[in-house]
Amino acid sequence: MMLKIRDLQKTYGSYHALNGLDMDIREGALYGFVGPNGAGKTTTIKIMTGLLNADSGTVEIDGLDAMKRPRVLKERIGYVPDHFGVYDNLTVSEYMEFFAACYGMEGLTARRRCRTLLEQVGLDEKQDAFVESLSRGMKQRLGLARALIHDPSLLIMDEPTIGLDPRTRLEFRETVRELNEQGKTILISSHLLADLSELCSDIGIIESGKMILTGSMDEIQDRIHTSKPVIITVQENMPAALKLLKEHPLVRTITVKDREIMAGFQGDARQEGELLRQLIEAGILVRGFMREPGSLEAVFMQITSHEDERVVLSYEDESGL
Amino acid sequence: MKMNPVYKREMRVSSRSVRLAVVLLLFNGSLALVALLNMYSTLAQVRLTAEVQYTSSLDLYLFVAVLEFALLLVIMPAITAGSISGERERQTLDLMLASRMEPWEIVIGKLAAAFSTMGLLIVSSFPILAMVFVYGGVTMRDVGVLLLSYVAAALFVGSLGLFSSALCRRTTTATVIAYGILGAVLFGSYGLNQFVHYMSGMRVDSYLASIGQGAGQASSGGFLYLLLANPASTFLMVIGRMTGRAEASVNVSSWFGSHGDSLVIRNWVGVSLALQIAAAALLIWASVKVVEKKRGR
Repeated sequence: MMLKIRDLQKTYGSYHALNGLDMDIREGALYGFVGPNGAGKTTTIKIMTGLLNADSGTVEIDGLDAMKRPRVLKERIGYVPDHFGVYDNLTVSEYMEFFAACYGMEGLTARRRCRTLLEQVGLDEKQDAFVESLSRGMKQRLGLARALIHDPSLLIMDEPTIGLDPRTRLEFRETVRELNEQGKTILISSHLLADLSELCSDIGIIESGKMILTGSMDEIQDRIHTSKPVIITVQENMPAALKLLKEHPLVRTITVKDREIMAGFQGDARQEGELLRQLIEAGILVRGFMREPGSLEAVFMQITSHEDERVVLSYEDESGL
Repeated sequence: MKMNPVYKREMRVSSRSVRLAVVLLLFNGSLALVALLNMYSTLAQVRLTAEVQYTSSLDLYLFVAVLEFALLLVIMPAITAGSISGERERQTLDLMLASRMEPWEIVIGKLAAAFSTMGLLIVSSFPILAMVFVYGGVTMRDVGVLLLSYVAAALFVGSLGLFSSALCRRTTTATVIAYGILGAVLFGSYGLNQFVHYMSGMRVDSYLASIGQGAGQASSGGFLYLLLANPASTFLMVIGRMTGRAEASVNVSSWFGSHGDSLVIRNWVGVSLALQIAAAALLIWASVKVVEKKRGR
């Protein structure tokens, strides 16, 4: 495991920013870290990067306790904050060389490393330009090159695409994907869920300082799928359909509207097929049978606003279950 | 040996800026103008009276030394008060702290850069100061002691600015606080002694009047030692001794009334310089701790 966080706690006065956060990032993952504002994303990132001390809990990088050995943490982590952090009076190459010096690199080694990284992010032709003359997208790419200066194994990016135009965002995503393919483990925090669902291999959703959903994109997609109700349109024999569904072990909730039954069904695609077969074999004339399509955004909204609890209660109320 | 990256960057940026060149030009230009006018008036007097006024070279020395000291007290807090808070405002402090740089390296780099800028101003004015050697009267030792008092004051005032910069998020606030504390040290210690001396005089006079005695000896008592932390008072003493002028300023025991002789009073300059350097060290240490504590905010 590249990064392992256990029971991380952080309070600001009486406010609990992190409330026993657990996180696992496997080596080579492109991890999307999602949560509403104030959920604790930036606090977690600042603890990971050694900028903030946690009240309690552990952060392990490559099996080493990063809190006891902060230098290890700084050498293995590259940090791209949600702001640019640039010096206007320096040229692009001077800016890079300054941060190379911050990691103890100087002279020819530093210059070579800087040139390679600027080429990698497409800023090699801008190395003599002043940083202030760069566009927003270029500054963001420069920030990425800066974070890679010491060749970290884990790259942490806090809302990196915020304020970028769609084209620049797309280019930035491509660069991130390439870095991941080259073997870098990457954590991206963002509220742009569409970006993450296309880009990330793993995802973690945080709310009120706790990780409430985490796993690979495939696992999450399955959960998204099963979290949506199956909509069954019954042409004839509604009472029999309701009886069968009430007795079915995988059906959690039932709502009836005219001839439509919305069933909270916790089975996979195969079990969905079996349910349809059971309905037909019971003599019920089924005109429509489909699972409502889900999205990462929907899950995010559902989890972070506790829509799930409200919806279940309304189903029960409406259907008299 | 690797150069401190923060120092290197600060030097690069300041050497690129037109501001430093303009300040150097104005400062040395005005000093040179005063020096040349002084020489011109001396020569004019020689032509008129055939008398060489050697004291005029000391006047020039005094003028340059005081001007440099005043400049140091004004410029040093202005440079250092924006050092850490400026990094916060640019949002670059966290980037440095997330690297292998330690907070003390950042603080020392910033102070050294401010020192270099100040040093450049002082050293560049030395040729003008050296005009005094044409007439004699000031020894190299004198210049050495003067430099030491500059260094101690620059360290003290610079670290004061650095500390307020570490404390505040905004450079404007940090600058106001730095000048506020400096004003309290410079004028507060003087004002307090003046006040206590005045009150003591009133008390002594009324007591002596009640017992039918003549004038008594009022003093500011232990408050005198507050002036040890006042770089201006120590500088005045150094310069007074050097030029042989203002005899009263050299004798600490006569400041704000009559004080008895003591080891501190006998070694006033040495103790004051040591105290300023110690206070600077304490402020630098406190700045490092504040940067460590406030990181990530």
